[in-house]
Amino acid sequence: MKFDDLVFNNNFYKSIYKGLIQQRKIANKAMMSAVVILSTGLLNAPALAQPSIQENAEQPPALIDPNIERREIDESDIDTEDFEIGIFGGFISIEDFESSSVVGASIAYHINENLFLEARYAQATAGQTSFELLSGGAPFLTEEERDYTYYNLSLGYNINGETFFTDNLVFNSDVYFTVGAGSTDFGGDERFTISVGAGYRLLLTDFWALKVDVRDHVFTSDIIGVEKDVHNLALTLSTTFFF
Amino acid sequence: MKLNVTFLLFVFIASLGFSSSTKGEDLVVSVAEPYVDFRTGPASEYPIFHVAEQGESITILKKKTGWYKARTVKGQEGWVSAEQLGKTLKLSGELLYVPTGSFEDYANRTFEFSVFGGVLENVTAMSMATAWNWTGNLVAEATYTQALGNFSENKLWSLRLQHHIFPEWIVSPYLTIGAGSINTRPRSNLVQSGDEVRKSDFYEVGAGLRYYFARNIVVKFEYRNMIALTDRDDQERIEEFRLGFSVFF
Repeated sequence: MKFDDLVFNNNFYKSIYKGLIQQRKIANKAMMSAVVILSTGLLNAPALAQPSIQENAEQPPALIDPNIERREIDESDIDTEDFEIGIFGGFISIEDFESSSVVGASIAYHINENLFLEARYAQATAGQTSFELLSGGAPFLTEEERDYTYYNLSLGYNINGETFFTDNLVFNSDVYFTVGAGSTDFGGDERFTISVGAGYRLLLTDFWALKVDVRDHVFTSDIIGVEKDVHNLALTLSTTFFF
Repeated sequence: MKLNVTFLLFVFIASLGFSSSTKGEDLVVSVAEPYVDFRTGPASEYPIFHVAEQGESITILKKKTGWYKARTVKGQEGWVSAEQLGKTLKLSGELLYVPTGSFEDYANRTFEFSVFGGVLENVTAMSMATAWNWTGNLVAEATYTQALGNFSENKLWSLRLQHHIFPEWIVSPYLTIGAGSINTRPRSNLVQSGDEVRKSDFYEVGAGLRYYFARNIVVKFEYRNMIALTDRDDQERIEEFRLGFSVFF
């Protein structure tokens, strides 16, 4: 038989022990409330007058409120980025009229992951024909007629891929092909123009891309006297944004 | 030329504004199917690099064509197909509605954009049109056509009303009436003065057939007959056949 059992089997000692524990509990409580009163008193003097301070100390406010109001977010709030708007610049070789710089703007709608529709508008100023330069004679066209503007609407097809610059520097990219139709205003006439091209799109972020594009613009022209199909190749660099 | 440079600058600034005005609050859904595939890019060709399991909640960030960019709780970001995302649940417990370009979405379309190639009085013509689905049967449309021939340049625009007799059919016929205006300019090498532009109003009637192809694409074939109200004694009759396709939103 252990010593503890000897002591606690006795009811008298038991009651004394319980009394001691109770006293200690009361002392603890008193001490706690004293600390609370003192600290709240120091921080907030008028609070001393309130009798319910001890209750507050025993039931601290819940840190996490389980009844958070959840705002219902709708499907229509999802940010959609199917449109691509951009500007481009580069060179265009105008058949018989030298090559010159070209600037323009484009807007595209991505129908699905592969197909897109693109509208382009661009302008350039044509140079002189070899004949004009060598003969030094009268120019073929007026200054105004040398303004070369075109627009077209194309259907494009993306071949999706990724470009790995290094092991860790990877961007989504695609190679695309376009076929389109539009019009070219040059030499005082507007001509129905077919355009075919190919390009490379590098997506630096989800919504920002750089594009290199080669496009041939074919139309029937009789500016230099004989009617023929002219091919005007444009090489451009674009920056586009998806929204 | 100068005006156009400022225009380009405007386009550039506007595009910056568009791309930055994005974030609102995020939409959180939980995966109801056994799993959802995360791809490295918004197309089925991109490889799957992660899988979110049933019961896992994912945050939807943005949408690009039929693909949604999503983020897992651990912060992994990838692209999820609309088909798979359509089987996830919202916080309220209801199924997330994801438009996948089904026939049902086609019936509920509001806007439509079309492109056509065709023949207008033996001259190659290209047209585009924007349409608004007013009721299921009535559609209002604005269309622009250009036909640049060897003898003249023709530009036409018109406002039309289409009546779809059976909008619920996959191949659906429709009738159109409309009014517009035509600009005709003879080629500069034929007329020396150059500014002999004829402008006349016209009325048109027509008929067409549309075929719901797939996803959000519709193929269309149209015929229209126009009567131009010219200054001369006779009225001019113009015919156009055109074939094209349209996308709807």
